[in-house]
Amino acid sequence: MEKRQTYFWRIFASGVCFSLFGLGGLILGVLVFPVTLLLPGGPTRRRARMRGLVQRALRLFVRVMNGVRVISYEFHGSERLGRPGQLIVANHPTLVDVVFIVAFTPAPCCVVKAALFRNPFTRGVVRAAGYISNSPTDEMIHGAVAALHSGDSLVMFPEGTRTRPGQPLQFARGTASIAVHAADVLTPVYVRCEPLLLPKFVPWYRVPPRRPHYTFEVGDDIDLAAYRGLPPPKASRLLNDWLLRHFAARLGVAGGYNGGSGD
Amino acid sequence: MQTKDEILEQIKASLTELFELDPARITLAARLNEDLEIDSIDAVDLLDGLRRQTGRKISAEDFRSVRTVGDLVEAIYRLVQA
Repeated sequence: MEKRQTYFWRIFASGVCFSLFGLGGLILGVLVFPVTLLLPGGPTRRRARMRGLVQRALRLFVRVMNGVRVISYEFHGSERLGRPGQLIVANHPTLVDVVFIVAFTPAPCCVVKAALFRNPFTRGVVRAAGYISNSPTDEMIHGAVAALHSGDSLVMFPEGTRTRPGQPLQFARGTASIAVHAADVLTPVYVRCEPLLLPKFVPWYRVPPRRPHYTFEVGDDIDLAAYRGLPPPKASRLLNDWLLRHFAARLGVAGGYNGGSGD
Repeated sequence: MQTKDEILEQIKASLTELFELDPARITLAARLNEDLEIDSIDAVDLLDGLRRQTGRKISAEDFRSVRTVGDLVEAIYRLVQA
């Protein structure tokens, strides 16, 4: 057990990190983005520039969280992330998983919760970077398919929301559907965090007793050949079941009933 | 101009092909979600298929109120009439 002092430091530093994240989002969205609009280049160039900025900002944020000892982390295989038409799927145990994955993928597109398009701290950034809202379903699927076809790499969390601690893993089928329609490459990222930082239903100041350690491991590409010839509804069901079993086995957790659309 | 019966046949063909459903289950009263287990992800594939078949720009908005196969026939009938 660490000293009380260190524990209280981590609560304080977590608060600082939270504020920093919000502030960074505001600065990028409200101040930096309008400036990038003035630079030459069309909408595609502008979006790419914004994604690059977001990536560098999040990389810095990850270093800060590590530096102030809120967390520690290791990321294995990031050189295999960011290929054109690559769909990156990850499990989602904690609030900041996406921060790491975006920080370690060159300028990816990302499917994010619709609420981030309304939150004043994140709204500017997710719009400027051309991220895709997870709702409504049809727009999410068409947006994601278009992004992959245009050569973007795309980050998705098939759980849709953070894992409910103690509950079996569940994947919504949207990710599998997008994979069978449009992914050139499907690459899993296994996310582990021990002890859990900011799982679902836990307020930010309830920091775990030890400093959480994150492990990100980029898995081997998943072969999609078997799913290509099938009608999409069947292919996406089979792939979704396979993905759920695969992640559950890799993470050593129970894989539960697969939710349909995640509605 | 397509009749409603022709539209129903077209829908049956799409549903059997995409979802491997028994054609006997596809009645006008069958509810897409509860009876035929077609969820919102499937609906995207279904509408994409219908777009290709009819060659029309079908917006998802036109289908927000669709619950049964009968509703779907009516919605497509209205579109091809328009």
